[in-house]
Amino acid sequence: MSTAQPNTYWRSLNELSHNDEYKRFVDREFQANATELTDGYSRRNFLQIMGASIALAGFAACRKPIQKILPYSRQPEFVVAGNPLFYATAIPFRGAVTGLVVQTHEGRPTKVEGNELHPDSLGGTNVLQQATILDLYDPDRSRNILLGGESKTVAEFSAFCAEFFTSGKRVAFLSEATSSQTVSRIRRSLSSRFANSTWVTYEPFGEENALLGTQTVFGSKLRAIPQYDKANVVVSFDNDFMSSGPDSVRAAKLFAKRKKVMSTQDDMNRLYVVESNYSLTGSNAEHRVRVKSSEVAQVAFALAAAVGADGFSGYSNAHSSHDILNQMAADLRAQNGAAVVVAGDDQPVSVHAAVAAINVAIGSVGNGVTYAALPFTDSANQNEAFTKLISDLKAGSYDALVMVGTNPVYTAPADVDVKGALSAVGTVVHLSTHVDETSAALPATGWHVNRAHFLEAWGDGLSYTGAESVIQPLIQPLFGGLSDIEVLNLIATGTFTAGHDLVKTTWGTADWREVLHDGLRKGTSFRAEAARTASGAGQAVRSLADGAASVDGIEIVFKPDSKIYDGRFANNGWLMELPDPITKITWDNVALMSPATAGQFGVEYPRSSILRAPADEEPMVSITSNGNTVELAIWVVPGHADDSITVYTGYGRTHSGRVGSGQGVDVHPLRTSGSPLFTSGTVTKSSNTYSIASTQDHHSMEGRPLIREATLVAYKANPTFAPDLVKVPGPIDDNGQAISLFNEQTFPEREPQWGMTIDLNACTGCGVCTIACQAENNIPVIGKNEVRRGREMHWIRVDRYFSGDVNGNPQIVHQPIPCMHCELAPCEQVCPVAATTHSDDGLNQMTYNRCIGTRYCANNCPFKVRRFNFFNYPKTFLTEGTDPEVVQMAMNPDVTVRFRGVIEKCTYCVQRLSRAKIESKRETNSVKPKDGSVKTACQQACPSDAIYFGDLTDSNSTVVQTKRNERNYLLLEELNIRPRTSYMAKLRNPNEATA
Amino acid sequence: MAQLFPEWSNRVPRLLLVGSVLLITSIVFFFWHFGSHEFLEVGYAPQQPIDYSHRLHAGELGLDCRYCHASVEVSAVASIPSTQTCMNCHTQVLPESDKLALLRESWTEGTAIEWVKVHDLPDYVQFNHSSHVNVGVGCSSCHGRVDRMEVVMQAEPMSMGWCLDCHNNPGPSLRPLDQVTNMSWVAPVNQFELAADIISKKNIAPPIYCNACHY
Repeated sequence: MSTAQPNTYWRSLNELSHNDEYKRFVDREFQANATELTDGYSRRNFLQIMGASIALAGFAACRKPIQKILPYSRQPEFVVAGNPLFYATAIPFRGAVTGLVVQTHEGRPTKVEGNELHPDSLGGTNVLQQATILDLYDPDRSRNILLGGESKTVAEFSAFCAEFFTSGKRVAFLSEATSSQTVSRIRRSLSSRFANSTWVTYEPFGEENALLGTQTVFGSKLRAIPQYDKANVVVSFDNDFMSSGPDSVRAAKLFAKRKKVMSTQDDMNRLYVVESNYSLTGSNAEHRVRVKSSEVAQVAFALAAAVGADGFSGYSNAHSSHDILNQMAADLRAQNGAAVVVAGDDQPVSVHAAVAAINVAIGSVGNGVTYAALPFTDSANQNEAFTKLISDLKAGSYDALVMVGTNPVYTAPADVDVKGALSAVGTVVHLSTHVDETSAALPATGWHVNRAHFLEAWGDGLSYTGAESVIQPLIQPLFGGLSDIEVLNLIATGTFTAGHDLVKTTWGTADWREVLHDGLRKGTSFRAEAARTASGAGQAVRSLADGAASVDGIEIVFKPDSKIYDGRFANNGWLMELPDPITKITWDNVALMSPATAGQFGVEYPRSSILRAPADEEPMVSITSNGNTVELAIWVVPGHADDSITVYTGYGRTHSGRVGSGQGVDVHPLRTSGSPLFTSGTVTKSSNTYSIASTQDHHSMEGRPLIREATLVAYKANPTFAPDLVKVPGPIDDNGQAISLFNEQTFPEREPQWGMTIDLNACTGCGVCTIACQAENNIPVIGKNEVRRGREMHWIRVDRYFSGDVNGNPQIVHQPIPCMHCELAPCEQVCPVAATTHSDDGLNQMTYNRCIGTRYCANNCPFKVRRFNFFNYPKTFLTEGTDPEVVQMAMNPDVTVRFRGVIEKCTYCVQRLSRAKIESKRETNSVKPKDGSVKTACQQACPSDAIYFGDLTDSNSTVVQTKRNERNYLLLEELNIRPRTSYMAKLRNPNEATA
Repeated sequence: MAQLFPEWSNRVPRLLLVGSVLLITSIVFFFWHFGSHEFLEVGYAPQQPIDYSHRLHAGELGLDCRYCHASVEVSAVASIPSTQTCMNCHTQVLPESDKLALLRESWTEGTAIEWVKVHDLPDYVQFNHSSHVNVGVGCSSCHGRVDRMEVVMQAEPMSMGWCLDCHNNPGPSLRPLDQVTNMSWVAPVNQFELAADIISKKNIAPPIYCNACHY
């Protein structure tokens, strides 16, 4: 255990300092206020209320309420009541679609999975894709076409379109990024019909800078498609490619392939990240360079010079002399092209140009990265086109504005007067799922058209790598919405054509059924361009580099939120309540900064008063830039660049819906079109405070060796470093296991024995397992105040540990924690009513109908994975509000919805196991399903295949192979509770030259 | 001095003792009996929107259960047939019957017929038909002689104890697979051997742990 365990791990600064506040916090099994009913009624009068309701209920409840069964009039093909069906479709996001397979129960989509046939999904999903089911069933979605607030029918809107959009009208189209082939087709007829029209693609955080960067180097806009599976070395300049971007699933899948170290013979890749904010990708890096976001460009130029990129001969700057830079350059050059350098969309054009030049210089074009021309992109700079469009609209250059999606009133930079443009142009059509800020700002002659969710309407699109995919609806529009292609076609032709016909016209009929089955046209992708450096590119890049300026003093960096993005997913409770991968903050945005920067504002860490007792609140800073001031809570992230403050957009919305409106702070007033990525500003300590719900200290396991990691070299020298770290004390029995005081469980041979392994080396910490679990198991959303009390209900949480220098550049390890299904489970010993017991297939089963809510089990659980329903959350969620039936439709019918007063926890997705066992019994007469035929929801969703699950009695199963792996270890093994979930230790592959 | 209490008052303590024992017993009995599934559930036969007679269709006409309850062998639910299934015959048989007006309305209008659920388990119970009928548990074992019912009635208590009776000792309820839908099947004299044979052939070991049904 010598080299293996050099680190102490800590989750928060308070834990690191082990101050009194932290001790008091973890001394209690449940944190203060978690176990008290402080809302409105006390425990005592709660019992009185209960008594009264029982008396009132009387004997009326002796007979169950009458339930109806409503069979079909005409039986649809393939539908078998009780058995779900799966259809291929694709989810559009920021101009790329990702293939999905969606589960439906009797025509009701309930769960999203990745499409294994789709090259951009490969079976995985990200958090946005998993949570889209809740967007579909959002009762706050707009239900009508509105003209000046008056609701109108589709026929009236069609009549308006036919009458108004006559040939020759000057129409401006403002669209979110789309790769739809049908939209491209309709655009051609739009531009011929409306000669003086314009089409602008607007994304607040789009890939325009990246495309302009490649345009500088290659002479045309090309998309960089990194091939992470072919790259031994990856360098990321502020590119959080593992988080929720349009390419994140494919990136995580391919990247994880190179992190699968199954024996000491295997090698793994190496990741360098240059960034200011501690991003998810940064937390998975071997080497992380912490610089201000506005200085990332300088590092990129220095690297370009170090690898000898075209145009950078003789270039040097302050970063050129750093050791890490030269080692990075040497490492890149040594790979013969099996390396890739990527840059984030939130970096300026110059960085993307430099990165393209570096990729050419190290010979990775066609190997570690390919470049592809996009058939749907306009050659003009769309960021400039957007500001020009708004001023043209104000000047009256257009007769009408058509907005396809987008919410520019909320997302546009503060100096762009979108509201003024809307009232100037008068005739506006805004297609939107919600009556959002833009819809609310429409003039009296403005049409709001309620937009169909992608699971309700036909569509198509190209994936990030160019696979031609079709978006197949799974349900009729719940609120009668129209899709973007239907509206555009209506404007182009004056007549309404159904989306299905529009898509089919584009696609032809030859292979239609096959396309629908697969979700894509097989074998299609963008053609890899030769990507030759254009003449004079070197000078062009160099002049960009010479002109680049960084922000002096404190910089303010704008980033899209990893969960709700630019605010478009703000009304999704699952996403809002998902802890941020790094800060573990829910429901809010904050001002992220390093400990040193916080010190400038007189905020010392560790603070004496911290967190989670409701009275304790975070100090705030007020940030002034662009003449506007916003106040945000200070949140210290060790490893954040100094003199830099990162703020997430998407919060502080006013017209989002019941979930998103008023959550957090809108930071758009600070953003200008001149500096949309980072800006300078004056920052002062505010006298106000703000309460934050962060889960980072919740469910602490208090400094035991839970995380085990080593370098690749150390692992090869001592492969069993992880299991060797802890020995179970006491004598050993005949089976080689430590003896136990308790009765051993006996498991019958005919039953499968379920087990799980989580590979910490592959896990990126993205949190998709949490959302997938929430969707599969009907887990409620409880709100910010309840999270502050430590009552969050997630069955699988992702613990994030820091290690290293708190003021320098600490490392991060992520560890997903579901129920361990201990064979000698401590929870089972203390349940007074035997509501938690063991099943024959080795599950620690939770029987809700037996549970009386003593919470002894949660007390006694060493992993803190048991969750208690303090209130009847599903009742609030499912039976109240204007349209409870809509939310009910999102529920998985195979899983019981839990009532107040019962404990719940991870079941290894027993509903899936049960279904698989019954099917296996029917087909093979054995209740042991074939290996790989049953997956838990977290395992299936994971884009990096970090979770293995299967039958431990099948010695050939994948999970048994992982359990035999040298890196496999058990959490709290010394307690001899024999968890069925184990972990494979984390490895890092640092560049030895840096040592 | 006259006696303060009459003579019969000597019997009061005894009567009180006996009386309270009787009272407590009767309260227990009251809940035990009137709260039981046998009392509350068995015999439940709600009025259905159409006077559909199982006695006629399954009994006299001899339709197989699976003609209508088609998914029973492949799904958790046996399923109530679509209107289409009824209309397979009723476009020819009694096409003008007044009793079938609702059926024809459902067929032409596409509306659903709102059948009342008779066998209604609590929501926390996950019962699977296919896992039972595919190993030789007959329809009539749980649903009784449906072929003799004019209106469908719950024949068994369907309580957890009743489920476990069979899960602990499946033998008496098993029959050859080709007899599963046979309403009039009676256990032969060699049921014990027959059941042992089915149990070994079909690898039957009914689960009795919680997660088998509750999740």
